[in-house]
Amino acid sequence: MPKRGHNDELSKGFPPKRQRTTETGRAPDHLSSLSNEVLLHVLSFLPVQSLITCQRLSHRFYALAGDSELWKRQYFSKWVRPRARRFAMTRRPTFPQSKFEYSPRVSTWLDHGRLNRNERVTNWKRQYQLRHNWSKGSCRITEVEIPRPPRPPMLATLCTGFVFTADSQAGLRAWSAERPGSCKAELTFIHSSTPTALTAACGPETNCIEVAVGFADGRFNIYKMDTAKLRLDLRFSCSRSAHGAVTAVASSYPYLMVISEHMILSLYKLPFGSDSPGAPDAAYPIASLKADNMLSPMSLSVRPTGPLVVASIVYSIFHLGCGWSLGIQELHFDKSGQQVSSRLTTTVDTQYGVVHLHMGRRHGRSSAPDRRSITHSHTDPFQPIILHQDPPTSVSYSHPYLLTSHADNTLTVYLVVSNSDSLYVRGGKRLWGHTSSVSAVQVSDRGKAVSVSSRGDEVRIWELESSISPFADHQASEDDNSVKVSPNKSHTLEGGDLGLLSGMRARSPLVDVPSKATQGRGYIGFDDERLLLLREKEYAQLLEFYDFT
Amino acid sequence: MAETNTQELTFTSSDGKNMKVPRDVAERSLLIKNMLEDLGEATEAIPIPNVTENVLTKVLEWCTHHRNDPPTTGDEDDSRRKTTDIEEWDQKFMQVDQEMLFEIILAANYLDIKPLLDIGCKTVANMIKGKSPEEIRKTFNIQNDFTPEEEDQIRRENEWAEE
Repeated sequence: MPKRGHNDELSKGFPPKRQRTTETGRAPDHLSSLSNEVLLHVLSFLPVQSLITCQRLSHRFYALAGDSELWKRQYFSKWVRPRARRFAMTRRPTFPQSKFEYSPRVSTWLDHGRLNRNERVTNWKRQYQLRHNWSKGSCRITEVEIPRPPRPPMLATLCTGFVFTADSQAGLRAWSAERPGSCKAELTFIHSSTPTALTAACGPETNCIEVAVGFADGRFNIYKMDTAKLRLDLRFSCSRSAHGAVTAVASSYPYLMVISEHMILSLYKLPFGSDSPGAPDAAYPIASLKADNMLSPMSLSVRPTGPLVVASIVYSIFHLGCGWSLGIQELHFDKSGQQVSSRLTTTVDTQYGVVHLHMGRRHGRSSAPDRRSITHSHTDPFQPIILHQDPPTSVSYSHPYLLTSHADNTLTVYLVVSNSDSLYVRGGKRLWGHTSSVSAVQVSDRGKAVSVSSRGDEVRIWELESSISPFADHQASEDDNSVKVSPNKSHTLEGGDLGLLSGMRARSPLVDVPSKATQGRGYIGFDDERLLLLREKEYAQLLEFYDFT
Repeated sequence: MAETNTQELTFTSSDGKNMKVPRDVAERSLLIKNMLEDLGEATEAIPIPNVTENVLTKVLEWCTHHRNDPPTTGDEDDSRRKTTDIEEWDQKFMQVDQEMLFEIILAANYLDIKPLLDIGCKTVANMIKGKSPEEIRKTFNIQNDFTPEEEDQIRRENEWAEE
């Protein structure tokens, strides 16, 4: 029997054991006379709906039917086991060789590992509910409007329950995502420059978020947010104004990648635990390169893999045959910052339906990969399957998922395969679901993606893992792999919170009001519990919090 | 094997009645089985202090019917829980009044007869499934100890799960 955390709570209202008759003359309650252990065993045979019903019976049943172990079992049989079964299928030797191409990392399959990292005990009922709400798209929405948006507009990013915003007037501010509108910490920028790029990632210590801000003058600052003490501190500042404005930053502690206006890409390594602000060599560049042919939109990412650090840049390119494609440049560095290798691939082959056969192959052939055209449903090998006449409206890459959004109401998803031998792209697939132009998309490494239409009236959540799987029942999954976010509860900020806002005011959600003027640019960020959208309207910026808890 | 099959044990129920039980039937109970392994030979009557004669008779009826079932392993735990299907003989066996049903569950729990405990719990689970809270309370005479406010709060808390 697994250990249960809340036995004290359960034993409250526990009746005398084996109570056969009651003095009150009521008929005996045989069910409640069972021990907790046996009752939990009974409850373990019940579906979720019945557990919910049982919670309404009495205090004791409320505690028992909410038992975390029961819900853990429900969580696994609903969300984890079906995926594990799919994974097991890929190992079955009877499948044809061509299907053995790629499967995402095992660690992403049983994705509860990260829950164990939290020191507190996981509440599995809550996890189940969270997953359920994401799968149904049901959430509470809170909107915060910035009536006189600073020019250029405010930047925002979401990291583990905190929202960071940066603009030239108010500086860097940290907000609680749980209670939007309450500013937890703020810090003005010492020098007067406009922030142009913002990213946040979990730092090396617990309760620590590293925030990187890039500026129009080419400088970048690293801040440390202490989430326990609610303090923002400047860790250091780095000025490299020669390359023009910083257009994008990506970080994965201790590495930081910066790309500038003039397409100079730099990778920095941040020192561990250094709290001395302003030390000029606190962050040292470990690589710089100039890239000329890269076009926006692009996506930067850094990920440590074993002994190497992989920095990737995904950018748009125009290909005469299949229109707009993506190029992926991957740079490998060792821990000391020495560049080990650089690899390049594009989505062009995939767009033509060419399949790479790499299974079981070793060095030697990797420079000239075997190719095989798909024969079914595609007779002309010179006609691309995926053709984009217009550049993508946004690109998001979180290994192994690569996603682009398009003005033609679709998204395209690719899987990037990066192993010691080769780098290639497979599984290009158009995703339908939006009914208007899609302006932005964001994907996580576990295959969850959020996309938003340019008018801002449609937000969709995608589970890509099943749609990209070669074993998925495509007929069935075609319509099922995304849900539209449907806020079911309106939530307005309380007046008391507003005192903390400078230049921000809350407004009631405009679920029914069409927001015509919302422009395409914006930010999408999400963590396990929340989704944050930053949108631009004609005269205002809107921060929208979607809460799935 | 043939030797152990013929061996008979004596159980003494909580109300002082003795009954003869073939050893292989008795060993459906892991409590008895482990005890016999520790003792080696049991020549004296084994007291079963928590179970009355009529319940013990019922439990032994089940054990006799299932005396040749393969031993259960922990592996099927999940598939076992997937379904509340009960095979026909067991369903008939469980058609008893509530008092007897819960006595069987308690006895199966005490004697550590996992398959019987499962069948009993599944039977109870089937009595809960698909019912409203009020129907369940009526079925089992459960006293509602919530205030209306608490009830309302729980209903709101679990709104997400409503279809």
